Amino acid sequence: MAWNEPGGGNQHDPWSSGGRRGGNDGDGNRGSNNGGGNNGNKGGNNQGPPDLDEALKKFQDKLNSMLGGGKKGGGKKTGGGSDKNRNPFALPGLLVVVALAIWAAMGFYLVDQSERGVVLRFGEYQDTVNPGLQWNPPLIDDVRMVNVTRVRSLSQTQSMLTRDENIVEVEISAQYQVANPRDFVLNVRDPAISIENALDSALRHVVGGTDMIDILTSGREILGSSVASRLQSYLDNYGAGIRLQTINIESTSAPEPVIDAFDDVIRAREDRQRTINQGIAYANAIIPEAQGQAQRIVEQGQGYRESVVAEAQGQANRFNSLLTEYTNAPDIMRERMYLDTMEDVLGNSPKVLLDVSENAPLMYLPLDQMRGRSGNQGRSSSSDSSDEQLDPNVLERLRNTQGSSSSSSNTNSSSIRREGR
Amino acid sequence: MINNRSLLIVGGLAAVAWLASNTLYVVDETERAVKLRFGEVIEENIQPGLHAKVPIAQTIRKFDTRLLTLDTDTSRYLTLEQKAVIVDSYVKWQVVNPTRYYEATAGDELMAIRLIQPRVDESLRNEFGRLNLQEIIAERRDDLMTGPTEELDEIMREELGVAIRDIRIKRIDLPEDVSAAVFERMRSEREREAREWRAQGQEEAERIRANADRRRQVLLAQANERSETLRGEGDAQAAAIFSEAYGQDQEFFSFWRSLEAYRESFSDDGNLMVLEPNSDFFRYLRNAEPESGEDNGG
Repeated sequence: MAWNEPGGGNQHDPWSSGGRRGGNDGDGNRGSNNGGGNNGNKGGNNQGPPDLDEALKKFQDKLNSMLGGGKKGGGKKTGGGSDKNRNPFALPGLLVVVALAIWAAMGFYLVDQSERGVVLRFGEYQDTVNPGLQWNPPLIDDVRMVNVTRVRSLSQTQSMLTRDENIVEVEISAQYQVANPRDFVLNVRDPAISIENALDSALRHVVGGTDMIDILTSGREILGSSVASRLQSYLDNYGAGIRLQTINIESTSAPEPVIDAFDDVIRAREDRQRTINQGIAYANAIIPEAQGQAQRIVEQGQGYRESVVAEAQGQANRFNSLLTEYTNAPDIMRERMYLDTMEDVLGNSPKVLLDVSENAPLMYLPLDQMRGRSGNQGRSSSSDSSDEQLDPNVLERLRNTQGSSSSSSNTNSSSIRREGR
Repeated sequence: MINNRSLLIVGGLAAVAWLASNTLYVVDETERAVKLRFGEVIEENIQPGLHAKVPIAQTIRKFDTRLLTLDTDTSRYLTLEQKAVIVDSYVKWQVVNPTRYYEATAGDELMAIRLIQPRVDESLRNEFGRLNLQEIIAERRDDLMTGPTEELDEIMREELGVAIRDIRIKRIDLPEDVSAAVFERMRSEREREAREWRAQGQEEAERIRANADRRRQVLLAQANERSETLRGEGDAQAAAIFSEAYGQDQEFFSFWRSLEAYRESFSDDGNLMVLEPNSDFFRYLRNAEPESGEDNGG
């Protein structure tokens, strides 16, 4: 993942721009593309030569020693020849220098703040480099970049068996970071798939050890944390260099075919509350009403008591007053009261006055008809009785006895008239 | 002359480059290699780094020694109680002995997988056959996997130069038709629960209603009690008042009260009175003389 060879043409620019920008290049990936636009950055070139010279020298030394140690003796000749004769070696020398320059320039690369570079020298792990401008000899060193700050995430929705052999659907997401770049790059082929598999296994394992009701309700947090610890232990075991940050149990639900039954349980719970509320409403309605009613009954009793007492008191007072008068003149009072009462009584009632003692034989008096007449006055007369149908004897006698007194005949005639009406 | 020499030098460099590329080889950190001379392994387990070999005569085989994943196919296992389950598992394996690995598989990963997979399958199958479903799902899931892992690891190291680092079961599901039955059961359980909730609601509501009814009844009865007591008190007080008042003159009370009663009882129009003229009331009607009030005149 180091510098790509095809990018070699642009080598100077990323390096120089990198020199100025350093580590504060925050936008994730390699800075080369940014730098590519800014051609000819002089400030960068000032820094370049010393490094380049050193590198060149180093390389020349290496090359010399290699050529010298190699099978061809020509290497020594070349080395010696360059001193003696400039002309013949001008072209290859120039080629070599140019090649070296290009090669050395290819060795520069940027490590972003979010990244670490895993450096392999001849395939062997050498170092993990930190953010900043870095140089490693190309072709010899291989640098593999890993983003270590990005939070990677992964989510799954699965249906699975619970301990009580029910089936639940769990949606889970895991967030993880690269904790050890070296392990992440070198130990496991395809760490992403590994974590996916491990998550799958860990989740089902934990769910398999839990009852459905816990998964659907209270046990979700515990579920998350135990999945997390289990998953982390798997990953540690694989040496994947991954640190798990969070496991979120996004949702747990009953599977599609039974979801309506589960919803019905929720509805039933609501129904229960609703029914109870109705009962409470009923109670709330009738009890105050009953209280009011009770109050009314008590008030009525109270009222009765007071009215009865008051009435009694009133009557007693009246009696007392009368008694006072009576004690003053008993005979007069007595007579007056008697007459008043009789007047009222007789004035209100139809009456028949007859002298029973003189007539020995019993006479017929149609009391029923007389009563009925007075009783049926308003009605359409169920009985046909009238004045004329009274026994003439009786009428005769009545006239005889009553004729003498004008006052009483008035009373009588008025009362008979009333009867007739 | 210059050209010739330059060409020579360039040619020399090219030769060096060719030689280097055939002599030197790099073993990556993720790999291990074996060196073969005409097919015979002469150096085992070559570690990462830059190495040299004799060109042409010696060849190098490199093997990926990272941890590899073998995602097995889902298969149907039987548990101890002969229930079928659908199982999906994966195996983490790694080449640990390149020579052995090369001998057994010629370095072909697919071949290795073909050799590992049936072993894993069989070993899991045996394990499943030993346990019942409950144990597999919940109680002994770890054992289920560690047993075969250890066992196979040993064998595979021996036979293939491969370490079995982990066997993990991903899914243990019930077959489709069984799942349908499970759903049916789950649904019936939910229905039961729902009915229970509703019945509980009814019960509670009925209880509340009955309680309210009782309270109403008690309230009214108590009110009646109070009311009757009050009435009684009133009657008693009235009686006391009457007897105090009337007790002053018994005879006058009788007279007055009787008159009241007459007035009261004859107040109705419907009463017909049949009277004898010689009653005391009519004494003046017969005879205006004060002395002969008692006489019966014609």
